[in-house]
Amino acid sequence: MKRTFTIIALLSLLIPAMTKAQYAISDTIRTERIVVKSAQFGISLQNNLDTYLSNYNYKGVGIHFNHENFRDARTGNYRWKYQVLFNSRIGYNLQESNMQLAGIIGCSWSGYHPFRIGKRVQLLAGAQIQLEGGALYNPSNSNNPVSAKLRTALAASGMAIYHFPVFKDEWTARYQLDIPIIGVMFAPEFGQSYYEISLGHTKGIVSCAYPINSPSWRHMLSLDIPLHIKQRSTTLRLSYIADLYQSSINHIRCHMYHHAFTFGFVKTIFKIKRENNLKAYSPY
Amino acid sequence: MFRKLLIAIITATTISGCISGDEFDNSYNGNFEALWKVVDEHYCFFEIAGKEYGLNWDNVYHKYKSATDTCENEAELFATLGDMLKELRDGHVNLVSMYGTSYYWNWQLDYPINFSDSIQRNYLGNDFKLTNGIKYTTLTDSIGYAYYESFSNGLNINNLSMMLYGLKECKGLIIDIRNNGGGMITTAEKLASAFTDEKIHCGYMQHKTGPGHNDFSEPEKIYLEPSEGAIWLRPVVVLTNRGVYSAANHFVMLMRELPNVLVVGDKTGGGSGLPMSYTLPNGWVVRMSACPTLDKQGNSTEFGIEPDLKIDITSDDWNNGRDTMIETAKKIILEYYEKKEEQQE
Repeated sequence: MKRTFTIIALLSLLIPAMTKAQYAISDTIRTERIVVKSAQFGISLQNNLDTYLSNYNYKGVGIHFNHENFRDARTGNYRWKYQVLFNSRIGYNLQESNMQLAGIIGCSWSGYHPFRIGKRVQLLAGAQIQLEGGALYNPSNSNNPVSAKLRTALAASGMAIYHFPVFKDEWTARYQLDIPIIGVMFAPEFGQSYYEISLGHTKGIVSCAYPINSPSWRHMLSLDIPLHIKQRSTTLRLSYIADLYQSSINHIRCHMYHHAFTFGFVKTIFKIKRENNLKAYSPY
Repeated sequence: MFRKLLIAIITATTISGCISGDEFDNSYNGNFEALWKVVDEHYCFFEIAGKEYGLNWDNVYHKYKSATDTCENEAELFATLGDMLKELRDGHVNLVSMYGTSYYWNWQLDYPINFSDSIQRNYLGNDFKLTNGIKYTTLTDSIGYAYYESFSNGLNINNLSMMLYGLKECKGLIIDIRNNGGGMITTAEKLASAFTDEKIHCGYMQHKTGPGHNDFSEPEKIYLEPSEGAIWLRPVVVLTNRGVYSAANHFVMLMRELPNVLVVGDKTGGGSGLPMSYTLPNGWVVRMSACPTLDKQGNSTEFGIEPDLKIDITSDDWNNGRDTMIETAKKIILEYYEKKEEQQE
């Protein structure tokens, strides 16, 4: 009886301890994915040409806003990275005394495969879907005051990320290049009025765009600088964005050269996944 | 594979290079060249003007190139370039600058005026109504009269319906658009749509597909849809003179396809090209006809539309304060009902 009691007593002590030990072994939390979000605001220099409106360049300044969501993929054993980039800009441009207002909104969805080169450099290559819309507005024109912009494209996209130490921190420089390969765009014919399009005469207003008739690029260069203010850390991002869009379709030549200098802050979110059965040990 | 694709993309984008605008400098000669070229590429009536009065745009270049070389200041340049544009004999062609706006007026001024607002007062009287810019009243013999002098503003369907409702006792309606220099095509179409109860093919529209003088799209049909408001199906007489231009000319083109409508008066001034604007290196704006409109038979109406009944205001009527056109229109409407009664008997 005494032996039995002793065994039970030992088991009663050991089993919880063993169970706890078992839980302790599986009590590992791992980062499921990292999401980097940034919002940036800045000024831009613009140079627009659209021979539907005028044969000459309109140059001016504008304001630019973009938001980026860059994250590890949930699928593919986390070997892929996704980027969703939202861009918007408005501008006020002049050709001599003639005014032009410009407004463009765009969004791109990218998927990348990373290639790590050493400890500090990472190259990413992938594909991107671009969607962009907006308008150029020349109020001094009569029946052609607006040139509407609407296009979607499949682009090749690449990125180089370089981490380098500065004092005790690690700064990050990044360069991204996007080149549209094939797409479709709204493209009225040479002298086609929007009034005529409104009558339903829509034949030929959608054209295929590719690098020969629409050689375009987007370069983005950014520098992430860690900041430590009163025991709190954040990351400042300074960027230069060169969005160089061009097209020559239906004898209408167009370019929208947009150089934006932006700043904003980066928020890094570590999304954590817990193993099963840990709820009992959660402090919450 | 990836490397080949990358090389192909870079090669393609490099070969394509930068897409740029015209390279004319902001000199007198540069602005002359720029103006001549933009008109050469976008103006849509070279062929018709060539047949009508022998326009040769290349000859115009040589004529005004030498004139530009002798310009001593910007005002002279503006006058010279304005004169060059007048060679097109098109009221839709203007050059706009700080020195003013160049116009070609001869499409109207070379012809009888055929309208007097003093004489018109004898018909409108003192108690005419005004809605959306339309002055209207009921004349003797229960004939409605509406004068619409400009399509520059929009037309409210409800207001138009109320006007037609107010004239509901009238046997017929005279729509007087003399000296209406145009405005918005949509206003002209909205007004015309009140006189049909079915969709009617009224003409064609084209646009340029390239910089060549004859680079045009296939003509696309233009239809007139019935109005969503009140519809008038009694006899209508449209009064015209040479001052009827642009959108008003378009209105006549639409109305003359309707079965209950007769166009009376003088030939219209024309102006069937939808104007578009472009700029010069110095910022001056040139406006020109860019999209031609054709009538139902496929003919251009750029140089005017002949009325169904050609009539001018006579000297006697002018002196006596009578409007020959309005009197003729009244007579036509009354004769319509007399004939109808005879047929019924």
